[in-house]
Amino acid sequence: MTEPAEPMRGGPSEPEAHQAVLDRVKAAREAIVGELRKLIVGQDEPIDQVLVTMLAGGHCMIQGPPGTAKTLLATCIAKVMDLSFKRIQFTPDLMPSDISGTEILEEDQTTGHRVLKFARGPVFSNIVMADEINRTPPKTQAALLEVMQERQVTLGGRTYPLPEPFYVLATQISLEQEGTYPLPEAQQDRFMLSVAMNYLPEDDEVSVVRHSTSAETVALEKVIGADDLMAFMRAVRDVAMPRELSNYVVELVASSRPTVDGCPDFVKEYVAWGAGLRASQNITLAAKSAAAQDGRATVEVSDVRKAIMPVMRHRIGLSFRAEVDRVSVEDITQRLVEACPEPAVA
Amino acid sequence: MPSEQTIESMPVEALERLTEGKAKILSEIRKAIIGQEEIVNDVVTSFFAGGHCLITGVPGLAKTLLISSLGLAMDLTFRRVQFTPDLMPADITGTEVLEEDRTTGQRNLAFRPGPIFTNILLADEINRTPPKTQAALLEAMQEHQVTVSGSTYTLDEPFFVLATQNPIEQEGTYPLPEIQQDRFMFSLFIDYLPKDEEVAVIDATTTSAEAEIDVCMTGSELLEYQDLVRRIPVAEPVVRYAVALASRSRPTGADAPDFVRDYVAWGASIRASHYMVLGAKARAALAGRPHVSVQDIQSVAYPVLRHRIITNFRAESEGIRSEQIIERLLEAVPPPRSGL
Repeated sequence: MTEPAEPMRGGPSEPEAHQAVLDRVKAAREAIVGELRKLIVGQDEPIDQVLVTMLAGGHCMIQGPPGTAKTLLATCIAKVMDLSFKRIQFTPDLMPSDISGTEILEEDQTTGHRVLKFARGPVFSNIVMADEINRTPPKTQAALLEVMQERQVTLGGRTYPLPEPFYVLATQISLEQEGTYPLPEAQQDRFMLSVAMNYLPEDDEVSVVRHSTSAETVALEKVIGADDLMAFMRAVRDVAMPRELSNYVVELVASSRPTVDGCPDFVKEYVAWGAGLRASQNITLAAKSAAAQDGRATVEVSDVRKAIMPVMRHRIGLSFRAEVDRVSVEDITQRLVEACPEPAVA
Repeated sequence: MPSEQTIESMPVEALERLTEGKAKILSEIRKAIIGQEEIVNDVVTSFFAGGHCLITGVPGLAKTLLISSLGLAMDLTFRRVQFTPDLMPADITGTEVLEEDRTTGQRNLAFRPGPIFTNILLADEINRTPPKTQAALLEAMQEHQVTVSGSTYTLDEPFFVLATQNPIEQEGTYPLPEIQQDRFMFSLFIDYLPKDEEVAVIDATTTSAEAEIDVCMTGSELLEYQDLVRRIPVAEPVVRYAVALASRSRPTGADAPDFVRDYVAWGASIRASHYMVLGAKARAALAGRPHVSVQDIQSVAYPVLRHRIITNFRAESEGIRSEQIIERLLEAVPPPRSGL
């Protein structure tokens, strides 16, 4: 607390109006989850994390075995948020133009002139599900990651902006198979959260199957629209983050880097590379998003706690020794959290 | 979740009509096809369940004849696409072409639907085509629609894909990724006929007589029966049994048997439980039974699980295939004890 002019960062200019938006965010979140519950059984944590990412304006990676409702979750969210949705199956022969689009020759009917017209690719959509992104060669992966970052496509000297909001939900195959192109660390870093979806408990699987093989159909109601989302995303960024919590986040993330002095011994042993600056940024943003969804204008410790695992999961590289000792990134993150005391915030 | 369907509320006459219809279809197909009862039965079952089939077998085993006869018997449109290394997604889904209006001279882009706009599509030798083209077909199968330069076109209903794979190791094939095989309800094996049946085929196909297949059901009736199939009630313990079969095949699961941990790289997904129950419902309905039995689940377990249980390197080196895993799963998972 050495800078009295700025005790908390990110405060809104009009607190009452901000709180009013946050109240709407909270109500919308409850309604959205209620709609999703009509079709999706279980998977509370993944639903929560995907919503946190979307309200923070980030992209997310979804990991998990096939058939764990990854696509279903994405399509349902698109429906309740009234957003356009496209799924792209990544294959070894997919080209950058299959994602972003191509120019085609078209004739102007009145003048007879031929002009190049841009045929928009599937990336021109609010939600893009990039399925099995590590099945495609690096050039095509890079094309997707570039549009993710820039939110626009540049072709033949022209720039075409993507629709707003724009979210990428990517899946990777976890099968150790020939012909996969692992996403480089720097590219994984562009995804805000990494969400893990697992097989359901048997009881839940029974109720899913009873429903999915019956003649019943469920219609999802639209809860919010793109404009609401844009307003919500601004409100999320205006949520205040107490300085102690910012310090805690930076310290925790820094302790994952094996080259930093004073990092724990298990990090030196098991970690090849630690989490970068984007990790601290994204933990902060995810915590703000979680606070906003609870209708609060200030981040609490519990918001930060929830954000750590999904942010760190894809940002820590394990050493060979960790593989031998069967230590996972989750284990490392858990131990980092235990080693770094949480600040006491009122 | 699902409202409880009861046996009493099942329309008995509709079920009776369905069994009669199925018997007629089978006897029409018999006019053209000799033998292969199991394959014919499984394909018909998947038809009434609304799922797609993947058939593995060498050429010349009447796959095309089977599926085109089925199309004739149900009055459905039928197309066959030979998959080749140079086939492009647009060759399946369709393309936009520049057309000139003769009267006004104006040029317009018009959509020419591809062969996928049909009720029954035979995708022959799907593993001969590169992944992007395979993905285009699988996407259309899943979504029952195609998107071409920004416009979405809905496919005809019913829509059914029967894809074949040639099992002989050959250069220049692109094996279908395991996860994409998951989109097929059934994986079936078609084998050479026994010798006496092969003789009967030679006799039948080298004469001048041609089999005439009569229409015995329409596409809209088929859609109604697909709905009827989904209304067949299934007892909770039976669903639980199907789910247990699928979940025990996952090597990471807490109660996975030892042989699964040793030999399975990747177990069956929830789609397996879904298709076992749906397949069992179709089997019960086709037999005129207004409830699903354990035997229904067991009999669809092989075609549903075969392509969904992926064995590991150790299994391969010891010559263990997914069929053996399924056999041992059926022994290891106790069926529900009620008299179903």
